[in-house]
Amino acid sequence: MIVTRSWLNEFIDLSDVSNDTLYKTFNAIGLEVDSIKKITIPEKVVVGKVLSCEKHPDADKLNVCKINVGTGTRQIVCGAANVVNAEYVAVATIGAELPGDFVIKHAKLRGVESEGMVCSSTELGLPAMGDGIMILDESIGALEVGKELGAYPAVADTIFELELTANRGDCLSIYGVARDLSVALDRELKVFEYKQEEKMKLGIAREAEIHQEGEIDADLYYKLANLEQAHSSFLISLRLAMIDESTEGKLDAMLKYAMHTTGIALRAYQSSLFRKDEKVTVSVRSSEKGIVEVVGNGKVFSTVGVNQDETAKATDESDQILIEASYINPDVMVEAVWSAEASFVTDDLYYYTSRGSNPDLAFGLSYLSMLLDTYFEFSCYEGALRVEVSREKEAIAVDTKEISSIIGMEIEKSRIVSILQHLEFVISSVDETVVSATIPLFRHDIKNVQDVAEEIVRIIGINHIEAKPLAFTEANRLNTTSDRYKVKKAFKNRAVGCGFYENVSYIFTQKTVLEKYGFPTVEEKLELSNPIAEELNTLRTTILTNLLQAVKRNVSYSKKSIPLFEIGTVFDPQRQEKEVLSFVVSGHSESESVQNAGKPKSIDFAAFVDKISAIIGAFELVPCSRSNGLIHPYQSAEIVVDGRVCGYLSKLHPTVQESYDIPVTFIAEIDLDPLLPKHINAEGVSRFQGVYKDLSVVIDKSILYYEVAKVIKGLDLPMLKDAYPVDIYEDEKLGEKKSLTIRFFIQSMEDTLKEGDIEKVMDSIMSALAEAFHAQIR
Amino acid sequence: MKELEEKIVQAASLEALEKVRVELFGKKGVLAAEFAKMKDIPGPEKKAFAEGLNQTKAVLQERFDTRYEALKAEEIEKLLKAEAIDVSLYGNKVQKGALHPVMETMDKIIDYFIALNFAVESGPMVEDDFHNFEALNLPKYHPARDMQDTFYFGDGSLLRTHTSPVQIRTMLETKPPIRMIAPGSVFRRDYDVTHTPMFHQVEGLVVDEKGKISFANLKAILTDFLRYLFGDVEVRFRPSFFPFTEPSAEADISCPFCGGDGCRVCSHTGWIEILGCGIVDPNVFKAVGYDDVSGYAFGLGIERIAMLIHQIPDLRSLFEGDIRLLEQFR
Repeated sequence: MIVTRSWLNEFIDLSDVSNDTLYKTFNAIGLEVDSIKKITIPEKVVVGKVLSCEKHPDADKLNVCKINVGTGTRQIVCGAANVVNAEYVAVATIGAELPGDFVIKHAKLRGVESEGMVCSSTELGLPAMGDGIMILDESIGALEVGKELGAYPAVADTIFELELTANRGDCLSIYGVARDLSVALDRELKVFEYKQEEKMKLGIAREAEIHQEGEIDADLYYKLANLEQAHSSFLISLRLAMIDESTEGKLDAMLKYAMHTTGIALRAYQSSLFRKDEKVTVSVRSSEKGIVEVVGNGKVFSTVGVNQDETAKATDESDQILIEASYINPDVMVEAVWSAEASFVTDDLYYYTSRGSNPDLAFGLSYLSMLLDTYFEFSCYEGALRVEVSREKEAIAVDTKEISSIIGMEIEKSRIVSILQHLEFVISSVDETVVSATIPLFRHDIKNVQDVAEEIVRIIGINHIEAKPLAFTEANRLNTTSDRYKVKKAFKNRAVGCGFYENVSYIFTQKTVLEKYGFPTVEEKLELSNPIAEELNTLRTTILTNLLQAVKRNVSYSKKSIPLFEIGTVFDPQRQEKEVLSFVVSGHSESESVQNAGKPKSIDFAAFVDKISAIIGAFELVPCSRSNGLIHPYQSAEIVVDGRVCGYLSKLHPTVQESYDIPVTFIAEIDLDPLLPKHINAEGVSRFQGVYKDLSVVIDKSILYYEVAKVIKGLDLPMLKDAYPVDIYEDEKLGEKKSLTIRFFIQSMEDTLKEGDIEKVMDSIMSALAEAFHAQIR
Repeated sequence: MKELEEKIVQAASLEALEKVRVELFGKKGVLAAEFAKMKDIPGPEKKAFAEGLNQTKAVLQERFDTRYEALKAEEIEKLLKAEAIDVSLYGNKVQKGALHPVMETMDKIIDYFIALNFAVESGPMVEDDFHNFEALNLPKYHPARDMQDTFYFGDGSLLRTHTSPVQIRTMLETKPPIRMIAPGSVFRRDYDVTHTPMFHQVEGLVVDEKGKISFANLKAILTDFLRYLFGDVEVRFRPSFFPFTEPSAEADISCPFCGGDGCRVCSHTGWIEILGCGIVDPNVFKAVGYDDVSGYAFGLGIERIAMLIHQIPDLRSLFEGDIRLLEQFR
């Protein structure tokens, strides 16, 4: 909502209120100021009267004008075509400094002397107002030749752009904003009174009639007028330019101007369309609550508050026009429009009516009449056709104690009463604590005591409320979600310690990408119906494809080592959510340095596993039984934590690596839930010395270590504290066999190891391996 | 004597000094030979001879020790020098990665509220109309509810447009008093320079008996919170409108970059809008079946705050995993 200082001044005296005070007041009462623009017209730009205008002898497009600028007559060459029709113009005289450091000097244009410049609006720092120079008229006040243009308040105005919240339909007009200001600044509104000139004594009833069909839930006033000549006005054009409103003709400009000023929904129709048997016959019908149609000759020309048929709109050429002012309850209308089966086309007016236009229809019509009388050649039939609903004003009873308790500060009852009265609530009764009042129609947003509290807060100013800490004593609130948050934070910090960068990506991805790599996708019937873009058209079932996209991007930024991780949500085909940790390392496993002579190793399986274990802790790796397009079939593993498969890690499949055009890459995706910390009971530690013992066995190449480990673990030997592989050896002599060296740590809880203890352990391991794998001692 | 002292001083290495030691102090050394002469010295002179000899021995020993220390120090120095490296070669070997600035900012916000005994709550991203809109006093036809902004699914579910549905879920699952925050991702169908289809919010809610919680309480906690986050700034509240709070307000901080004088960051207003807040609307309590309670709520967008704190120019860069951006936060 754009308002200007001089425009507001039509309804409230702001002569002693500074722009800074206005800015602060607007913000304080909830009309947030987005921008302020103070227009400064340069000095020596004056009102000039064009005395003559002739074609330039040597240039087709130039005119040579004689202009009275108060201090004398000047010859000025002007390039704008519209100067020909101008009487009063803005002249920058010699010495004037226009925006952009443009100083007006004597000049010779194609051999003709020019002493000044006739200005367009943009040359003076005003908004654009169409082609050519500005043609002034007395709509901005009496024009005195030679008077500084900056002395006209409507020109050197200040423009405030306000950001209105959706509930404040009452402030969608200059009048509405002035009304809110009047409460905040505690001053009366100027009363608008206009007694229409009776150019025509003929009553409207002679020429027009109105019919109702169904229960009409809207107020409608109609006036009928003969339009002889439409004119434009400088003030109206200037202000419409200031509020950035485009118009279709002079009549449309007047309607928009009147609406922006008063907030009343106004339309104009070609009355001929309604003419039936010599009379203009308007039928208003409603078959559904909130939908009111305006009908002429059986044709619907408008739905009140919603739209108007283009062809029914009155134009500057119309001879007779039917002016309509309307009010419809926004809540009822919007609900009806929203739930209608056939979708409604809504026009600009709907923005006002859906937020609540001004219900004071008489005011709107009288303001518009004032404009038309002033600027148009126009005559109006006496009186108006009316449809009126008897509306019970909503009543509210507010407990002033409750208001104080909501705000947290004692607000006196008399203060509350006074604020409400200023806001045009009608107080019906006041007892010890309760104030009863009726709510003005234009404040349909106010429904309960908290809404009233908001009004009180607005007017007294939040900054006048003293902040009070809430005192409480209660049990702690460290719940599982809080714990989970801390665990995730710890994982993140460890990943960062291992050199990973945290990635945040959209939970969206491209369905074809998921399908291409064999990931599940969300079931068709549960799919997004209005994705924002093709490449974000489904919910992700893995984070890895997003991470690979980020890798690709970083490769293009010449990054050689790309370790990224993300902890986030993925979805299953039934759209159930779960949190996973995803990792990717692409390219170098460490940074280039002197140690590696600038040639660091590429990331490999062992280095990747090291990094992951440093982050998520102990796990076992077993061969991968799952498959998707990203997994390398021979360098991939399931991650097993506490006997439970909870994720996988893999070298990126070479064909995928190639298609992304990225270096060697490893990936991992692990469910978060199994990694959450578990309760641990400590076991006793032995006070006796232990020994390390290596065992090399020859087994089939195809036997994987985890199978061997399973057998050893299965023996459940109390003295065997640890076992891990330390060497693999293969050569021609061994053929299809390999030599595996395992290191054991043997220790007793009860005693020093005795002769034979170690042998017993080693023997039982050996015989188990021999039985399971035909293993032989090497 | 002078000659002997000279020998000690002249010894160039520990090995040479060891030779001198044997020559002087050894069993067959010069001093031993001198002491051997004692038995031939007559009684009366013996004492003076012995004293003289002992004095000489003490002087030589002292010279020897000094020289030994010096040579030892030289040798250690040589050893150390041999291990010299250019330490400055290793200064650029940063092994640490970095947290994402948005997540790090979110963590900082969560930490504040945990310290004030707020519970952290969470909820699903795929929501239904009731939790995301209806219960938050946003009926279907409400002008503040912009259809265009919401991602919908074929079955009528939607992606939450704010973290506020977590308020509703928490209120339905627990009983007052409630003190909670809900951090998380939210989704709006908007994609341009200043909008991404996903971003992050932290929502806060406090509910207690009727009359216990006031706007003044809300002011107190948010003023303290904003100073925790931004340092010594002024905090201003402006009335505003949200369907789920009444009265509603927006909180601004004085621009931390220009101190309120006006600069590019604050669009020359001296103020920066940070969060929205208010007293919980009675219709929200009605929707969850709460009677006789009072409460406040607030919510803030994390990206904006992270961008402000760290002066990150481009919102979309936050979702691209760009290491050039991330490595600045190591």
